[in-house]
Amino acid sequence: MQSKKSLRDFSLLIALVVICAFFAIVSPQFLSARNLSLLTTELSITATLAMGMLLVILPGNIDLSAGSGVGLLGGIASVLVFEHKWPAPLAMGIALAIGILIWFCMGNLVVRQKMPAFIITLGGLLIFKGLFWLVIHNSTIPIVQGGRANLYSVLTTFYLPLIAGYALAALIVVALIVGKLRARKARQAYGFAVEDGEVVFLKLFLAAQLIFLFVVVTNKFRGIPFSAVILGVTAFAVYVLTTHTPFGRYLYAIGGNEEAAIISGVPVEKVVVGSFSIMGAIVAITGFMQTSYSGASTTTVGDLMELDAIAACVIGGVSLKGGQGTVPGVLFGALIMACLLNGMTLLAVSPEFKFIARGAVLSLAVWMDVRLRRKLL
Amino acid sequence: MRSVKSRMNPVVLEAEKIIKKFLGVVALKDISFNLRAGEIHGLCGENGAGKSTLIKLLSGIYPYGSYEGDFFVHGQLAKFRSLADAQKAGIAVIYQELALVDDMTVGENIFLGAEPPAVQGLIDWHRVYHDARLLLEKFNVGIDPSEPIAKLGMGQKQLVEIVKALSKNSNILILDEPTAALAEHEVLILLDILRDLRSRGIASIYISHKLDELFAVCDRITVLRDGSSIATLETKRTNKAQIIKHMVGREIRDLFPRRQSKLGASVLEIENLTVADPHSGQPFLSDIKFSLRVGEVLGIGALMGAGRTELLMHLFGAWGRRLSGSVRLNGRELSARKPEEIIRRGMVLVSEDRRRYGLILDKTIAFNLSLSSLAKLTKNRLIDQGLEFQKNNHFFQSLRVKAPTLEELVAKLSGGTQQKIVLGKALMTEPLVIFLDEPTRGIDVGAKLEIYAIINRLTDAGKAVLLVSSELPELIGMSDRIVILHEGRIGGEFDRDEATPEKLLAAAMGQRHVALT
Repeated sequence: MQSKKSLRDFSLLIALVVICAFFAIVSPQFLSARNLSLLTTELSITATLAMGMLLVILPGNIDLSAGSGVGLLGGIASVLVFEHKWPAPLAMGIALAIGILIWFCMGNLVVRQKMPAFIITLGGLLIFKGLFWLVIHNSTIPIVQGGRANLYSVLTTFYLPLIAGYALAALIVVALIVGKLRARKARQAYGFAVEDGEVVFLKLFLAAQLIFLFVVVTNKFRGIPFSAVILGVTAFAVYVLTTHTPFGRYLYAIGGNEEAAIISGVPVEKVVVGSFSIMGAIVAITGFMQTSYSGASTTTVGDLMELDAIAACVIGGVSLKGGQGTVPGVLFGALIMACLLNGMTLLAVSPEFKFIARGAVLSLAVWMDVRLRRKLL
Repeated sequence: MRSVKSRMNPVVLEAEKIIKKFLGVVALKDISFNLRAGEIHGLCGENGAGKSTLIKLLSGIYPYGSYEGDFFVHGQLAKFRSLADAQKAGIAVIYQELALVDDMTVGENIFLGAEPPAVQGLIDWHRVYHDARLLLEKFNVGIDPSEPIAKLGMGQKQLVEIVKALSKNSNILILDEPTAALAEHEVLILLDILRDLRSRGIASIYISHKLDELFAVCDRITVLRDGSSIATLETKRTNKAQIIKHMVGREIRDLFPRRQSKLGASVLEIENLTVADPHSGQPFLSDIKFSLRVGEVLGIGALMGAGRTELLMHLFGAWGRRLSGSVRLNGRELSARKPEEIIRRGMVLVSEDRRRYGLILDKTIAFNLSLSSLAKLTKNRLIDQGLEFQKNNHFFQSLRVKAPTLEELVAKLSGGTQQKIVLGKALMTEPLVIFLDEPTRGIDVGAKLEIYAIINRLTDAGKAVLLVSSELPELIGMSDRIVILHEGRIGGEFDRDEATPEKLLAAAMGQRHVALT
């Protein structure tokens, strides 16, 4: 069990290092502070959506409509702001509510009408795309009124002040250490096996260094991008949800064996509908970030983002059958996808080859996953 | 007259001292019998007597060499390596679960995989339907070959299956519980067809729990018990009581340490419960009525397919549509219809199929144990991991789970240990009533005894247990009272003292008054 995990993580780490090294050599800009800051924003957008995708895939479903939803919900907010002159927070609140409602309905179709999520969300993919284009009348809708920044536009243009960045990093490191030590003590008290003290120290030390390195690098450009904070909050919330709440346990139980979950008294319908509803909220938030990053709502916003999110999950070790997958794994998967996309954009790779490369990486990841699993089981 | 005639017919199939072991467990101990041309030969025995194993052997699923002993088909030593070998030798098996493709027509199904050869590799559909019609007419089956299978009733499907088998020139038919899913009139049609086939010289092995049918159609009956063929009797010279006696024929050893607990107030009362099958919409359970008291073990016995699992699953909110009747728990009507609500009210189910309905196999022991009780283990909506560990550890210790730690994956555990996890998960919900569906199926004797001891502890602690078992000795040994189901109805109710295997089996077979001699 333990060795299986480390082998997997190891192979992912190698893949990441190889990808980064390749881009760094071919294009020295790749490691520039400016590009890493951009990469962070791109990662934040992909990974946030992947967090929601994890919640949907864990109980054995899938969401193909997320990309179209990103465009649609971002588009609704832009139209409300630009054409109807609504304040940005209100417009975004409305779009968020619509997102939750739509995904709540799709979740209900899955559990009550027993329609496969694949089909429902495939329908959603097309319907939302059509609605999106209707909403923005096939044109480009800015997200601001008269060039004034608003909450919508700052999502991807605001950076934490340099001092705040360091403070935040220090806070996270302290929280990490306290949390880790507490969990370790609790495990010891209950007689579970714990990691060697030195290993724990090394891990914490490494994590702290990475966090501060991240702050140093982003501060060299403008500071920690606000979108990274959004990702941090989302990922933390999903982490707590999946590991420390009954709801999270139920997600794994349903994905592991739905019939046994029902007999064990797991409220399967509520849990699945809940996972879709949260996905709705996350799609809306991702929609705001992605639209903000593009600067305006255009017909291509959100294209294929569902596949990037699914790819991030799969690369990060989430089983498409459900029941397996963790937040750190998905973050790692998203990082690999984001590096790949960012690097290719930097190299001005033509879109044809970008598609091919994305597809190849996804297939490769699944192939590796299947192979490792077979070998180790 | 008939039996005299068939007695002179040649033997078409003969089994000699067949022994079959699975990883050291003996499934068939000593099976010998013979089948003559133009004979219908009944095969009966309790659940687990070895009928299914025997069929799989005769039909080539367990290949030659995987068993000891021999059997001969038309005088030749049978060395089947596959189903196809058995088919070539003229043996056809009609299973309970039919092997027909619902979306195809009758004709397509009859010739599926054996389409008449035609020019240029294309199937000659005219010929398929023509030949199918001839076959159906030959065996007096009034079904249109162009009818889709999905439109046929169970009985008609069975007939198509038989015609399909006969189209391959089979002359030995093995029918495994062919009437389990049939309505009364369909049974009569089937029996008529079998008699007709007999007059054409075809030999049939007819496996059934239903003594009425065996006596109506069979020339001879062979009784299996614990993997041995006990006796072969001429139908005309025997009676039902004698058959039942042969089927049971063993002492109940002192294996069952049931201690009577102090009985308290009635905790579960079920009255006139009628439940429809969700697929067919037909009533499957009718007029079920029984009650359960604090500290009591109520055994529920039935033959397979008589509705015992369906009854438990229905009470637990996981099967069927209730047409009428009431279920009262602690005097209050139980209106909850979902497992999660029913668990909250104090009933819990340990399913017979632990891998399917009991466990999340690729998760840890801890994950599985607390799964049903998580709502009670939270503080500020987060799982209180200390409390969860204490609860898990309590059951891990008290059930003496054989595993290194709580973090072991359930998939790696033995059957008996897995069963304890399912039991522990159920007990952690602090139920009033526990449904145990075949709690000792497929586990070794040591683990069985432990489960029995746990049952005693539960009733001592004031719980009530509903125990479903297909093993009569276990049912008699561990129950204070026994209710027998027969075809979805109550077939009899017995106190511990008056229950004997013969009486229970008779009730389960729908024979209310069997004169035992």
